[in-house]
Amino acid sequence: MAVYRRSYKPYSGTLTAEWSRFLVLFRYSRRNLFHSKFLTVFYVLCFFWPIACLAWIYVAHSASFLAKLGLRPEFVAIDNKFFLLFMSVQGVLAFLLTAFAGPSLISPDLANGAMPLYFCRPFTRAEYVLGKSSVLGILLSEITWIPGVILFLIQASFAGASWTWDNFWIAGSLILSSLILIAVLSLLAMALSAWVKWRIVAGALLLAVMSFGAGFAQAINTVLRIEGGHFFDLVYLMATIWTNLFLVDNDRGISAGQAWVAILVYCSVCLGLLLRKVRAYEVVR
Amino acid sequence: MNDRIIFEDVSKFYGEILGVNRVNLSIPPGVTSLVGPNGSGKTTLMNLMTGLVRPSRGRIQVLGYTTDDPENLFRVVGYSTQFDAFPKGLTGFQFIYSYLCLSGMPLADAERTARQAIERVNMVEAASRKVAGYSKGMRQRIRLAQALAHNPKVIVLDEPLNGLDPLARAEMIALFRASAAHGSYVIISSHILHEVDAISDQVILLSNGYVVAEGQIQSVRKEIQEHPTQILIRCDRPRELAAKLFEAESTIEASIHKDGQGLLLKTRDADRFYLAMNQLALNGIHIESIAPADDDVLSVYEYLIGNEEVIR
Repeated sequence: MAVYRRSYKPYSGTLTAEWSRFLVLFRYSRRNLFHSKFLTVFYVLCFFWPIACLAWIYVAHSASFLAKLGLRPEFVAIDNKFFLLFMSVQGVLAFLLTAFAGPSLISPDLANGAMPLYFCRPFTRAEYVLGKSSVLGILLSEITWIPGVILFLIQASFAGASWTWDNFWIAGSLILSSLILIAVLSLLAMALSAWVKWRIVAGALLLAVMSFGAGFAQAINTVLRIEGGHFFDLVYLMATIWTNLFLVDNDRGISAGQAWVAILVYCSVCLGLLLRKVRAYEVVR
Repeated sequence: MNDRIIFEDVSKFYGEILGVNRVNLSIPPGVTSLVGPNGSGKTTLMNLMTGLVRPSRGRIQVLGYTTDDPENLFRVVGYSTQFDAFPKGLTGFQFIYSYLCLSGMPLADAERTARQAIERVNMVEAASRKVAGYSKGMRQRIRLAQALAHNPKVIVLDEPLNGLDPLARAEMIALFRASAAHGSYVIISSHILHEVDAISDQVILLSNGYVVAEGQIQSVRKEIQEHPTQILIRCDRPRELAAKLFEAESTIEASIHKDGQGLLLKTRDADRFYLAMNQLALNGIHIESIAPADDDVLSVYEYLIGNEEVIR
């Protein structure tokens, strides 16, 4: 039996908090995303509409400017419809940004067989998913609810306490509608990224799910003469929830409650698909 | 038993497919090699040891930590997989550094530790280059650095010598031996048997998910009764020696070596044979050397598993 010198000295320094370790993934993944010039340019373009909305708010509160343009104040009213319009445009941009950034989040790790490297340390699957989804979560937040709330605060500062008090719920709607959009887009993009190894195909599939869903839903509704086809249309479901959140009258084929349930089902399915793939080892049967 | 890696009646099934079955092991410090053909359960055993897969049955403890306690377990365990597992776009340094951060090391400690690990595997010059541009040998070394970086006591390395040139192999083997000499548990899987023989303190032979033998290779060889021990004797009068040796009951077969300067003998009782040899040496036959010819991993492997997929 060999005799060994016990000179082993393990790392004995402090460790970072467990909850914060997912941020390492966030840091690296985000930096990788912005290596792409196209994405960087597109990301900057995503702020044009918030700036336009900011200008709109300024104009709405500038009587002299309105007079110069010959516009009536009610034409440029800053209300729930204004913020729904803001969110609708930003929602489309968020979707396009996700289609570009989402597929590259998980598929390279799976293609390179890097999963065991993540999990052979104090790092769980949930933390991995959190780390990767935080990239999209924060990226999409930067172009949806954060500028939305800033616009709301600017409008509040112009309009005064009375307007702010009466319309405070709009800020909540902005945040909630953004969060549901971010959750759906992130989970869908990551699930596709986990199951489709080719980035371009995963991006195309994301576009297909959103666009063909509407066509498929319309086909079902027309052939079967029902409204149930809308459950296959993610954009429609999202629009139903948003119009409900922003209290905009809109005669929809399905109720907001049904849309919420459908969206939660989609999110659960995506999460299930994601966790099925995000494993230390893939078992080949 | 906080100083061992212990498997207690461990089985792992992937659905209906057997990974490993009824494994009982107690692995001491030093270099331990897992040997077996493809699909014999080597990687499964390593994944079980590192908590990457959960056992379907049984209990695993690594130096007193269960595999359900990753925060403590991975302070003492480092793992290098057999696949080219490199996230895209990272340099060698970033590769080590990022995983140390992920393990919970503060940034300054992670940077210092990453540099030390890179130095240990002689990759300082290439550390700032992207891993994608590394040669196979460099990739193996940077993977090893990743496994060693946080100074784990248990180092689990899946096929660490694959694709390395002889010089790189020698460097790696020296590194394993140095780690073992410092009291680490170095667990290696391989099917390159002559290298296993050279580097291992003990071996675990696997076949079809079962452990067929474990321990120091000479001890394992002694346990294999159905195969007589082969001994090579170099001497000046092999014919005369053969005739005398046949007088002993335990001698089964003796053949003269091709060069006429030696004898390959098969015996059922090696201990009695060695006693007899002492007498013969005293009786005037000049014996140059006596060495066991089949107490290496290759022979044991062939006796126990057969010669499928053996790389000599």
